[in-house]
Amino acid sequence: MSFIEFKNICKKYPGADRNTVDGFNLNIEEKEFIAFVGPSGCGKSTTLRMVAGFEEITGGDLFIDGKKVNETAPKDRGIAMVFQNYALYPHMTVEKNIAYGLKNMGVPADEIEKKVNWAVRILGLEEYRYRKPKNLSGGQRQRVALGRAIVKNQKVFLMDEPLSNLDAKLRVSMRTEISKLHRELGATTIYVTHDQVEAMTMADRIVIMKDGIVQQVGKPMELYEHPVNQFVAGFIGSPQMNFFSVEVEGNTVKFCDGNRLALPEDTAKKLGGRQGRMVLGIRGEDVKLDEESIRQHENNKLEAVISDTEVMGNENNLYFTFGGSQAVARVSKYEVSQIGDRISFVFLPSKIHFFDEETGVNYMEG
Amino acid sequence: MLTKKQKWLNWILVGFLLVLSVFFLFPVLWMLANSFKPDAAITADMNSIAAFIPPAPNGSFFENYVSILFNTKFLRYMANTLFYAALLILLGIVVNGLAGYALAKIKFPFRDQWLLIIMMLLIVPTETVITIHFLIIAKAGLLNTVLGYILPSIVNPFNIFLFRQVFVSLPDDVYEAAQLDFCGPVKYFFTMVLPMSKTVVATVSVFTFLNVWNDYLWPSLVFTSSDLLTAQIGLNSITSNDNTTMGQTLAVITLVTIPVIIIYSLFSKQIVEGVTSTGSKEG
Repeated sequence: MSFIEFKNICKKYPGADRNTVDGFNLNIEEKEFIAFVGPSGCGKSTTLRMVAGFEEITGGDLFIDGKKVNETAPKDRGIAMVFQNYALYPHMTVEKNIAYGLKNMGVPADEIEKKVNWAVRILGLEEYRYRKPKNLSGGQRQRVALGRAIVKNQKVFLMDEPLSNLDAKLRVSMRTEISKLHRELGATTIYVTHDQVEAMTMADRIVIMKDGIVQQVGKPMELYEHPVNQFVAGFIGSPQMNFFSVEVEGNTVKFCDGNRLALPEDTAKKLGGRQGRMVLGIRGEDVKLDEESIRQHENNKLEAVISDTEVMGNENNLYFTFGGSQAVARVSKYEVSQIGDRISFVFLPSKIHFFDEETGVNYMEG
Repeated sequence: MLTKKQKWLNWILVGFLLVLSVFFLFPVLWMLANSFKPDAAITADMNSIAAFIPPAPNGSFFENYVSILFNTKFLRYMANTLFYAALLILLGIVVNGLAGYALAKIKFPFRDQWLLIIMMLLIVPTETVITIHFLIIAKAGLLNTVLGYILPSIVNPFNIFLFRQVFVSLPDDVYEAAQLDFCGPVKYFFTMVLPMSKTVVATVSVFTFLNVWNDYLWPSLVFTSSDLLTAQIGLNSITSNDNTTMGQTLAVITLVTIPVIIIYSLFSKQIVEGVTSTGSKEG
């Protein structure tokens, strides 16, 4: 049996016409780091709050460590949680915030002292331990919230968008700190975020949700390389995957601006004989401008005019209009192009995805 | 940055308010200066500027105060009032605070309607219900008891409303975090909600103290025993005594006024903040 089991979990708010979370099934193993990602309103925070016990489960069963916890009070579920807005006790010092739970658990004073010392040390809060939250920066507050969670030795950590209030630089360093803490403590962690970069960099597995329904569960690279549908393909990866509305006739892909692409035999085979209108998807880094790639796929060489560029430092993003859509190519920092330049490029055939125009299902992963 | 014209306007305004405040201070200064004088001096100084100047300190400078504090029960009355005020502050914070918390954070049927009813009670003057309070207290056999005095004053719709307005802006995730820290709802109220709402607690305490200190009608109905009287009733009984001099009367009025002035001076910030902090405090 898995450590946390979601069995057909549903959440319907009174008066709502549909389930906010619908038929959520997932098994989480002990010590695993799972990220729930999805756009706002997809039900990821609601699911997390159902695990915490702050939201009533209206359908299905939830098991933690083999015990059904649908009706169990939050404090008895063996969880610790880090909240989006930190939820620190404003009238207590850092030290007291961290120690409060332990004190209520009846832990002896010397034990509390030891644990607080350990927490403030590993979180770099030693010099702030007698300050109140209002005298701390956002990053320091977030570390106090983490400290409050880790001292209790709970088996499950829940994190609800813990980094969303921090600036970009701090987010990156806190990401590393949380990953490090997870490795050291080994607690099973569920991490909710709308930032796919956080999910990709931190999680062992990612759960992608949309409209209360799980779209795909998998390891970060699985989702990136083998998205099951157009939503997952578009959600994971930055910049977003390029999508083109195309018509497939035999082994030929016709773009709506008249451009054509001949599909290699193995790619066409994966389509399973499907013909007609569909959506072609390809990631920016699989749009190749280098001479060698173009030489290899000479017969599928395409052309476009650059409409915009983004210099990222380590790479460049080149934007252009092609096949009736805006597209992007991720190229190395040495491949410099200017707005208005005409470029030649090829799509790496093995990296092309075809999605159903109506359902978004990825034909290549069938 | 103020312009030169605005600075001038500010100075004129400050000057005008200073002159205006002198008019309001006159009676207080007169009372204070004459409370140190014997009656003959009060009468002699009546029509001159000397009426606002205290006498030179001498052996009999505090005579009026000494006779009030040591020859009457006034100290007892003041102690009684402080005791009643302390009791009512404590009970008022617990009862009105819990009611305000329920109205702000706990979902129950007709919650908004309850709040509306409580707010409607704000417009009912105390005098209109005092007879009913008196009859209930009398029927319960609580006349001339401390319980009879404090019982009708514990629940205060205005204080419930104040608490509710502040509690409604307390973030819910702090309660959730406290739950995971093994803190039950009652402990949460006393160890989290009240300390996080110090301003409104201070405001309610000050208002309750001033209400008790200035209350005249209700204690005069409930109490007949002179051992239980409050400062205001005591003031009346002392000043209506034929043997009390005008200097002693002014001394006792000064003594009654001092706590009010001290409280206002110390807590004016909290009073203003408490009444105005009805909007969101988040962020």
